[in-house]
Amino acid sequence: MNASPLISLESVSKRYGSRTIIHDLSFAVGMGEIVGFLGPNGAGKTTTMRMIAGFTAATSGRVTVAGRDMATDNVDAARLIGYLPERPPLYDVLDVSAYLRFVARVKGVSRAALRGEIERVAAACRLEAVMDDEIFKLSKGYRQRLGLAQALLGAPEVLLLDEPTAGLDPGQIQETREVIRAFGAGHAVLLSTHILAEVTLICQRVAIINHGRLLAIDSPAGLQRAMEQTNQVSLRVTGEAPALRDALRAVDGVRAVDIRGDAAQPGALIVDCQVESRDGVEAAIARAVAGPFDLHRLERREPTLENIFLRYVQEPTGRGAAA
Amino acid sequence: MSGTLAVYRKEMATYFRSPIAYYVVAVFLLGTGYFFLYNIFLTGETTMAGTFQNMGILLTTLAPLISMRLFAAEFSGGTAELLLTLPLEPWQIVLGKYLGAVTILLLITAGTFIDLVPLYLFGTPETTTILAGYLGFVLLGMACLAVGQFFSTLTHNQIVAALITAAVLLGFWFVGHLQSFQRSEELRGLFGYLSFALHFVDFIQGLVRTEAVVFYLVVAAITLTLSAAYLAWRR
Repeated sequence: MNASPLISLESVSKRYGSRTIIHDLSFAVGMGEIVGFLGPNGAGKTTTMRMIAGFTAATSGRVTVAGRDMATDNVDAARLIGYLPERPPLYDVLDVSAYLRFVARVKGVSRAALRGEIERVAAACRLEAVMDDEIFKLSKGYRQRLGLAQALLGAPEVLLLDEPTAGLDPGQIQETREVIRAFGAGHAVLLSTHILAEVTLICQRVAIINHGRLLAIDSPAGLQRAMEQTNQVSLRVTGEAPALRDALRAVDGVRAVDIRGDAAQPGALIVDCQVESRDGVEAAIARAVAGPFDLHRLERREPTLENIFLRYVQEPTGRGAAA
Repeated sequence: MSGTLAVYRKEMATYFRSPIAYYVVAVFLLGTGYFFLYNIFLTGETTMAGTFQNMGILLTTLAPLISMRLFAAEFSGGTAELLLTLPLEPWQIVLGKYLGAVTILLLITAGTFIDLVPLYLFGTPETTTILAGYLGFVLLGMACLAVGQFFSTLTHNQIVAALITAAVLLGFWFVGHLQSFQRSEELRGLFGYLSFALHFVDFIQGLVRTEAVVFYLVVAAITLTLSAAYLAWRR
């Protein structure tokens, strides 16, 4: 990472009344980096993005963008920031080109460069077909892309994107990711999302946040490992627990076995097996269990954010919160 | 200043794409026309005095409809998050929006000039008195819009903003009547000084008093400053 980060948070906390939303958050994003900001809804991603964008101030700690303190120099810093909030901030009664002209003018784009700049972002976000349309007529996908276009205006150094692909169809998601990837090459991008695949596909690092606390900053590869560790196969079986445990542990690909009684049916057991992500593990488990035991149900559970968070909480493996 | 100008241009682009502006202009001009005809036929005098009086009170009830959306709509529509994270100082946003609202005020003021045509065709009105009346009306409107803009910064709900503004403006309009119920000279003076209506009467009578001009401008300046300070504080 670059020695002088473009985005820096140092021990940042945010309180609303007696409720603390963000706890002692520290991380940094350098030039040329795309950092994913991953967390479930309500984790504090949007509040953190708003503090970096200057919409709201930190209660304590320090937020800087390109060396400018957002507590005192937020207007100056705003010239360097492109920000797409979670809900695209659009004036429904304006048409697309009037809206982009307004944002470009405020961002200081000169009269001579205005048209070219608007054409540039419209092309990048595939908005050419709707430039004369009033915004209230746009589909959700176009609204999201227009929100991204206004963030790109004025060639900002820092791009803050809060759920940028929400509401887009698969093709649009792919295009948007390409725009972000291209932009990230010479700038700093902080991308908030709750979609695991998003960060693993386009980010160099991932900051994982839950309940306002940074759990870890990891590489997408590290995240991938955590995801693999949360692959689970769940079974409902009738039989002896010790023998069942031995049988499951003998299966190649099973990492851990948790057995408990089924409260709904005395005698039955609920089994959660932590397994490797490769194919064929479920089939091997089924073969091992179906003969000696009565197998009632077997299902594969995809990794969820909650499981991954638990993984990081349970095993803070030195990947820790240092930026 | 370019930031203020950009906000102003955006405001003007959005005003007339909303039905509220047309409603306000239509109601104000219809109301003013009605009062003009009523006053002329009732008094038989070619003067705007009665009409100005009615225009003043009509304005205190319609100005909240112009000002209510200034910030409340930005908050409820999510665009405040754009506006307050663009490279704009709070005062630039406040001023740009305020100038947009004042432009609407000037437009509806200009719309009433049609009343002057029969006045000059069939009578000999005092031009200086009419000019003073219009000056007072515009100053009164500037104060009302600034007060309304302040209350619009405090809420996400345009209706709430309009109702609070209307209540406060009518309070300022009628506060002069409290003079009759006071023995204290200080309170009588205070109620008289705070009255939007009593200052306006001076203008209607053709008196352009510095105190009245300063009063309206100070009310506008204070509430605009409060609006900008509140926007900065709410971060």
